[in-house]
Amino acid sequence: MTADGQRQNSRVLSGVHFMLGNYATVEGALAAGCDFFAGYPITPANEISERMAERLPQVGGKFIQGEDELCSIYAIAAASLAGAKAMTATASAGYNYYQEGIEYAVAVEAPCVIVNVQRCRGENFATQADIMQMRWGAAGDHEMIVLAPSSVQELFDYTVRAFNLAEQFRNPVIVASETTIALMRERLEIPGADRIPVLNRKYTDLGPDKYKTFDAPENGVPDFSPLGKGYHGLYTINPHDIDGSIEWDPIVYEKLYKRITGKISENEHIISHTESFQLDDADIALVTYGSEVRPTLDAMELARNSGLKVGVLKLGTVWPVPETRIREVAKQMKAVITVEMSIGKYAGEVERVVAGRCVTARATKNRGIGHTAEEILEVIKGVRA
Amino acid sequence: MKTLNIGICGFGGQGVILSAVILGTTVVTKRNMYAVQTQSYGSEARGGQCQSELVISEGPINSPTADKKDILIALSQPSLERYLPTLKAGGILIVDPKTVTEIPTDVKVVQVSATDTAVNLGNRIAANMVLLGFIQAATNLFSIEELLDVVKDYVPARFIDLNLAAVHAGVELAKSYGGTF
Amino acid sequence: MSQMINAQRRHIRYGKLPHFFCPGCGDGQVLNFFLRAIDELGMNLEDMVAIGGVGCTARIPVYLNTDTLHGVHGRTLPWAMGIKLHKPEIPVVIFAGDGDAASIGGNHLIHAARRNLDVTMIVVNNLNFAMTGGQVAPTTPAKFVTMTTPYGSGEPPFDICEVALAAGATHVSRSTTSRGPQTIKAIKKGLQHRGFSLVEIISQCPTHFGRYALGSGKPEVNIEFIDDNSVTIAEAKNMTKDELRGKFVIGEFIDEQKPVFAGSSVYEVEE
Repeated sequence: MTADGQRQNSRVLSGVHFMLGNYATVEGALAAGCDFFAGYPITPANEISERMAERLPQVGGKFIQGEDELCSIYAIAAASLAGAKAMTATASAGYNYYQEGIEYAVAVEAPCVIVNVQRCRGENFATQADIMQMRWGAAGDHEMIVLAPSSVQELFDYTVRAFNLAEQFRNPVIVASETTIALMRERLEIPGADRIPVLNRKYTDLGPDKYKTFDAPENGVPDFSPLGKGYHGLYTINPHDIDGSIEWDPIVYEKLYKRITGKISENEHIISHTESFQLDDADIALVTYGSEVRPTLDAMELARNSGLKVGVLKLGTVWPVPETRIREVAKQMKAVITVEMSIGKYAGEVERVVAGRCVTARATKNRGIGHTAEEILEVIKGVRA
Repeated sequence: MKTLNIGICGFGGQGVILSAVILGTTVVTKRNMYAVQTQSYGSEARGGQCQSELVISEGPINSPTADKKDILIALSQPSLERYLPTLKAGGILIVDPKTVTEIPTDVKVVQVSATDTAVNLGNRIAANMVLLGFIQAATNLFSIEELLDVVKDYVPARFIDLNLAAVHAGVELAKSYGGTF
Repeated sequence: MSQMINAQRRHIRYGKLPHFFCPGCGDGQVLNFFLRAIDELGMNLEDMVAIGGVGCTARIPVYLNTDTLHGVHGRTLPWAMGIKLHKPEIPVVIFAGDGDAASIGGNHLIHAARRNLDVTMIVVNNLNFAMTGGQVAPTTPAKFVTMTTPYGSGEPPFDICEVALAAGATHVSRSTTSRGPQTIKAIKKGLQHRGFSLVEIISQCPTHFGRYALGSGKPEVNIEFIDDNSVTIAEAKNMTKDELRGKFVIGEFIDEQKPVFAGSSVYEVEE
């Protein structure tokens, strides 16, 4: 028996649930085929580990409570190379430790999913303060795919999507969860297993004599080879040639990281995901992500009720920045307001992309609780004036 | 009904959170409605006080919490004092006279003798189930059968009979109160 | 005169040599000992995963015709755990220096030993951080000079085998590079062991430990230092604690069978 009244133990719990956000994250992972999880205790991500510990053995997967976060992140990177669909979960302070493992997973192109339940420093209050760390935390050249769910339903949906993107692009994918939604119970509809799209990595058709571990087209993704089958792959963080060899060559190095970053940055149109609300006739766009989407939509209604033409651009993907869509929207607006729960971080990205096409402003709040619709409305009115 | 905002507050161990979770599960899984349940956490939750919020709606819910509650259920004197300001003007305050001694007179108050009823049934821990039964009968948001079905899923097997009896007792209390809100 | 080709060269990735180890370094010997052990056991490198972290010893698996993970300091055991739990049938061998195993990776070592993770960990202990230029390591004998202990180390050293034993390792042995046949045998036993096996090999680093700590870059001076301070387990039994200070106790400390690690949450926990 699992918590919250579920007594099923199949991989996909199809049906309507009233579920905790952290549990929905786990169910999304399982529906996407996750069969390996390693994590280290930290609040408010513990319900993810606890439910994984209960659910993974039911579906033939492996659960490990690592001795620390470093153990967790490296265990999932290596399990991924061994063929697993692997995930870990932590909260802000724990996410710090993951940076070196993320650097490794980027370099050897190990697909994996990392859930970061953002919390205030030393406290379990709500924040979106790690939005830049999730993009830039690891050393060296990398692009990162970061998804920002805004509800329990999206914790499920986006975690499925995170696994698919990881498999497709051979890169770590981060689910930017938040205290707000992780500890919230909400309606969750899990579709039938046949209606959940699941992507799996491509294995090489070549034999060990012809196969090269990191051979891939420009901005493309190399095919996998199985471990322990004579492919003698060398998965090193050191600069490596397409056959894995590590003699330093500046041209090889530059080419490697042009491809590893290009496979994401040049595919922004495939990866990025946004939703638009009443933008067609709007002259003010509220750009937001994660749990802040919720009061922002309410603020839009309040503004519309008082005659202001306001729309919302919700960023389901925060990294790579959905630049094409933000630019399109900015062209049609008099003002773009970024709404976020921090001292104002992602706003800088939005303003960079808007690049003077219209006025920009920020609604920021860093008090351990999200905006109210009324607070956002005040900012809208200020910009309007 | 557009949305209904409910707050439940009391001491840890009174079933504050479980009650909100059971209500939410019932409306979502049995009535195909929408609900969001949140609770106080972090240092806010220390000192033994506990608070849970539930927003119920026929459609998707944006802001997960509401400044003002339509119904506030207070199960202890300190939590009542702390959360009474969140009760909407014209909202309903539900208290257990056993655990709340200073009952406000300037709001609409419904007294439910949940603790005494549970004690008569054999265990005071079932007081929250008495309240759930009361709310079922007073709101008609869902049927008693639907509520009982969910309660069975959430309570330990050895306490099922006690809890189901407590729900029924709560329904009876609502009848004597005089029907729906 | 034609050059002698070592028969083990067929095990080398793409046949690529020379390796990058300094002349006189013990890592070349350990590479050789390991390949001899593989051949004598009839094991196939192509079935295996070899893991190296960062450091001189960590380069050994880079030369092997295995699947290899390499290049992050101290995380060899978490990698091994990820692979062994997902694919328990793949033999995993780790090559770690004393910095990798006992300093940055010390916490992982304790817990892998405690869990009885089914891997073979070959620790080449050259008593200092060599790749970075000869800094003090947790294994550097007390009072010896290194690049970061110019007046002699003020730290007592750490006995890797004792730590593994205390943490619950099921196979632990120590040898030295000067004892070829014994070291090959120790590696073979480590590879055959089901469960966590730690094979420590005390090794010379003439370039750094030799020059700074012993005042000579000659490999034989470093090897003599190790030999002069080595005692067998049998000899150690008759020595006092004071007499054993600064000595390398050589031999097999434990060899026992216990259930191997299969995950923190498993349906059936073995008694």
